[in-house]
Amino acid sequence: MKKQVRIIHYRQKCIGCNACVEAAEQRWRMSKKDGKSVLLGSKEKKGIYSAIVNEQEYESNLEAAKNCPVNIIKVEIIEKG
Amino acid sequence: MEKLELMAPAGSFEALMAGIKAGCNSVYFGVEQLNMRARSSINFTLEDLKEITQIAKENNIKTYITLNTIVYDHDLRLMREIVDAAKESGINAIIASDHAVLNYCRKINMPAHISTQCNITNIEAVEFYSAFADVMVLSRELSLKQVADIVREIKRREITGPSGELVRIEIFGHGALCMAVSGKCYLSLHSHNASANRGACIQNCRRSYIVIDKEEGYELEIDNEYIMSAKDLCTIDFLDKIIDAGVSVLKIEGRGRSADYVYETTKCYREAIDSIYEGTYTQEKIEAWKQRLSTVFNRGFWDGYYLGRKMGEWSKEHGSSATKKKIFLGTGRKYFDKIKVGEFVMETHSLKIGDEVIITGPKTGVVKTKVEEIRVNDVPVNEVHKGTVFSIKVPEKIYPSDKLYKWVDVVQEKPITTEINS
Repeated sequence: MKKQVRIIHYRQKCIGCNACVEAAEQRWRMSKKDGKSVLLGSKEKKGIYSAIVNEQEYESNLEAAKNCPVNIIKVEIIEKG
Repeated sequence: MEKLELMAPAGSFEALMAGIKAGCNSVYFGVEQLNMRARSSINFTLEDLKEITQIAKENNIKTYITLNTIVYDHDLRLMREIVDAAKESGINAIIASDHAVLNYCRKINMPAHISTQCNITNIEAVEFYSAFADVMVLSRELSLKQVADIVREIKRREITGPSGELVRIEIFGHGALCMAVSGKCYLSLHSHNASANRGACIQNCRRSYIVIDKEEGYELEIDNEYIMSAKDLCTIDFLDKIIDAGVSVLKIEGRGRSADYVYETTKCYREAIDSIYEGTYTQEKIEAWKQRLSTVFNRGFWDGYYLGRKMGEWSKEHGSSATKKKIFLGTGRKYFDKIKVGEFVMETHSLKIGDEVIITGPKTGVVKTKVEEIRVNDVPVNEVHKGTVFSIKVPEKIYPSDKLYKWVDVVQEKPITTEINS
């Protein structure tokens, strides 16, 4: 069983404050198009973005989720067989 | 003499219509995320702009977009898109504080107002910003004398804005005040990483606090736990002095507030402004307006810094001291124009003859009325309960899916006070 991390981003409510980029630079970028943050390597479904990433990224993205002032980032550990 | 412009907040289409119905001359609102209520108000999208300007045109009011947060490089494109869209849709001005926004407005000839976030407190600052804006919101911490001096000096020096007209001065007239100077507060960022200057204020100042001596551990005796929560600004009792000071625009705060709040406050200030120009501004009327203003959300009132107070006045309670509240009852189904009757479905609670009701909706704004007759299947009844379809007289046109609320007195509970002993 391999542990992986699922990051979910409810992007619509992003206020573009840059906090997620500061916490997990390798996973987040600010879009110059609409000023909101982008979850790199994510797939979109009905406006919700999600990405499955390596376990090593858990802590920095948990920090991003914690720091998000509008609570639109969720981070969870998933088991993949 | 130019009449004082009354500017109402619009955090939703309901609030927009409520402000218009109550008689505002202009409205201000946020679009997308670059405004000081990014968190607490719904905020309009760029697609809504045409509809808003259409409504404004029909009702002969001006429209302003607040674009007054701190702006980062990654926001520049969105900022320009908002300003471009505003210009294209015929929005009257952008309320800005960041120099990037002011610079861009000037480049494309879009009128700008200087936000209170710029903290203008003197005539030289007015002169500086006059290259960018025709209207400037002064710092909320100035006294009315300082405001009057600035207005007089604008006329004497003939300081004109980009339009070539004399710079006009705007002040805040009613609503919440920030505990920090001109909203430059970092508490929310410090405690919750939620920057007030990006519109995400968590309102730490509205909470209660205890003060403990760290060395010996005893609590300081303080008579009010809400040590940072400023009371709400109310200027209705000295509006004549504000007009005398030469103020051109009076802003009502509250983009995060409900439509009925916008309606009541705007209506009171509309009546007050009109009565001053008509010469019928009396103490009796002031008392009545104050009483009406206290029915909607408020933290208790004070006169801000305009009359020269040294220190702020602090609220003693959490949340609102409103004397009235609304209880959701149900939604509208039909409106019969000719007989002025609205049909509703009661989804919860009950309604009886004599109750006061509020109906709100995106096209309706706010309609207030007293229930004089209730009919179920065209038979008069005294009371209706959950699950019933019923009709009542409604004086103005309403629309299906409008929300019906009962407007009731709040039973004031005594605040729980804790004695703090040293």
